[in-house]
Amino acid sequence: MDSSTLDLQPLHRGAEADLFLSQLPPWKVVVKRRVRKAYRHEKLDASIRKERTIRESSAIRDGKVAGARLPSILGLDVERSTIIMTFIDGLLARNILDRMSNARRLALLEELGRQVGFLHSAGITHGDLTTSNIILPADEKPFMVDFGMARKSTDHEDHGSDLHLLQRSLIATHALDATSSLRRVAKGYREVVGEEMAKSSLRKAAEIARRGRYFAIR
Amino acid sequence: MKQNPRLVPTFFLGIESTAHTFGASIIDDQGRIITNVNSTYRPPTGIGIHPRKAAEHHNEVSSGVIEKALHGVGERVSPDAVCYSAGPGLGPCLRIGATISRALALYLDKPLVPVHHGVAHLDLAMAAGRSHDPLAVLVSGGHTAIAVHLNKRWRIYGETEDITLGNLLDMFAREAKLPSPGGVAVESKAKEGRTLLALPYTVKGNDVAYSGLLTAAIRLLMEGQSLPDICFSIQEVSFAMLAEAVERSLVQTRKKEVLLAGGVAANQRLREMIQLVAEDHGATFHPVPIEYSGDCGAQIACSGRLAFESGVTVPVPESFVNPRWRLDEIDVPWIPRP
Repeated sequence: MDSSTLDLQPLHRGAEADLFLSQLPPWKVVVKRRVRKAYRHEKLDASIRKERTIRESSAIRDGKVAGARLPSILGLDVERSTIIMTFIDGLLARNILDRMSNARRLALLEELGRQVGFLHSAGITHGDLTTSNIILPADEKPFMVDFGMARKSTDHEDHGSDLHLLQRSLIATHALDATSSLRRVAKGYREVVGEEMAKSSLRKAAEIARRGRYFAIR
Repeated sequence: MKQNPRLVPTFFLGIESTAHTFGASIIDDQGRIITNVNSTYRPPTGIGIHPRKAAEHHNEVSSGVIEKALHGVGERVSPDAVCYSAGPGLGPCLRIGATISRALALYLDKPLVPVHHGVAHLDLAMAAGRSHDPLAVLVSGGHTAIAVHLNKRWRIYGETEDITLGNLLDMFAREAKLPSPGGVAVESKAKEGRTLLALPYTVKGNDVAYSGLLTAAIRLLMEGQSLPDICFSIQEVSFAMLAEAVERSLVQTRKKEVLLAGGVAANQRLREMIQLVAEDHGATFHPVPIEYSGDCGAQIACSGRLAFESGVTVPVPESFVNPRWRLDEIDVPWIPRP
């Protein structure tokens, strides 16, 4: 699909991609374009952008088929490292989490656990699960976005890594209590993936956290 | 905690002794570095730092280094507080510095201040680079971490899940029989490199992992690829990984300053990359001056002064060393800086 003819309105500038709003009637769409990074060697940059564009679009498609709440892929322009997908209208979890009541926040965390569970049972890892990559529409049913670091994997290591990143974002960005918030994420997650898989993913998440430098207990 | 001005010491002695460097430095109550004397243990080419050998080196040079630091500006300075590197680091090295510092504190009857070596890298870099509330990137032999300050502590936004950037460069240099310090040797070889060789690029969220890259680089060496090209490729790939993690963290935290500190911060290519990331997102870039990038006494004195002014001291019988002490396990109420 040639994305160069679309009319683009700047929406957001992310770390690795620029997001634009556009119309592909009847849909309001987001055009995600991975941009050249000046700091990166040209050859390395080209291969990373191409690989991630393809990986992201297939991960979103597979995750959606598995039942997770994700945008729909409408087009792919590999030549321009560009993905076209449906626009999700809502607020970033990062911006409203601190203003939510305790009960609403915990309900959200539990639902997030379920959503991650759908991905993992379909063999997909998000790879960058932070509150900046979660959109809350008016009904507060979260959408996961930005699958740029996603990969196909059934490895507990990757599942644990998702849970670890989410937990760290709750602690580092929102200064939330680690134990009570992770417990609710785990509850929703367990509901979807089952006791056995939940146990190994959560154990892995704790292990990954300890891999950071200078933990006293290894 | 505000101190009575008359009780505030005029001079702080900092003793660094976490790894290869034994250092002593005097800083005044305005944070000005009066002296900064350091002696670094250099292992033979092809061999890493043996903790006991490094400790023996520190033991031998300690009195000379401290004497020189105290005598630096004509008349002999008598420190009003003794700050020591309490961790993280190599156990035998930490114990040398701590033992000397305890003895000095008792002999001079002055307070003893424990300092976290990583926090100290950041404190000195912030002071020298005029940074107030940065996204901090700490790259050294002991750390590869991206941190921001929130609620009294440094919070880790991203870090290495296995070896540090300093480990990667040192261990590769050792295998390639390049002289110590490895980072400097790899950087100078990389300048002659032209071809980018394939190496694993591992970024997980804001985390990086370098051990696979090290293994692959050593394999290229065994295959007889050109050493300059390998060094060039190691730098391009490992630094790009970190730059990406920094960029992601910067977008998430929306900080307006990026601080680059630690021994590897002396690398020009890394400085260039992180500067590009910072400026691309409208943040100012604050690299540590090269002379303060590596381990030194001044970082301990600098951090010790700030800790002391926040009321941190430890009685000698309760003083400690902690070879494993995380950057996010210590309160740093003196940040953000005015």
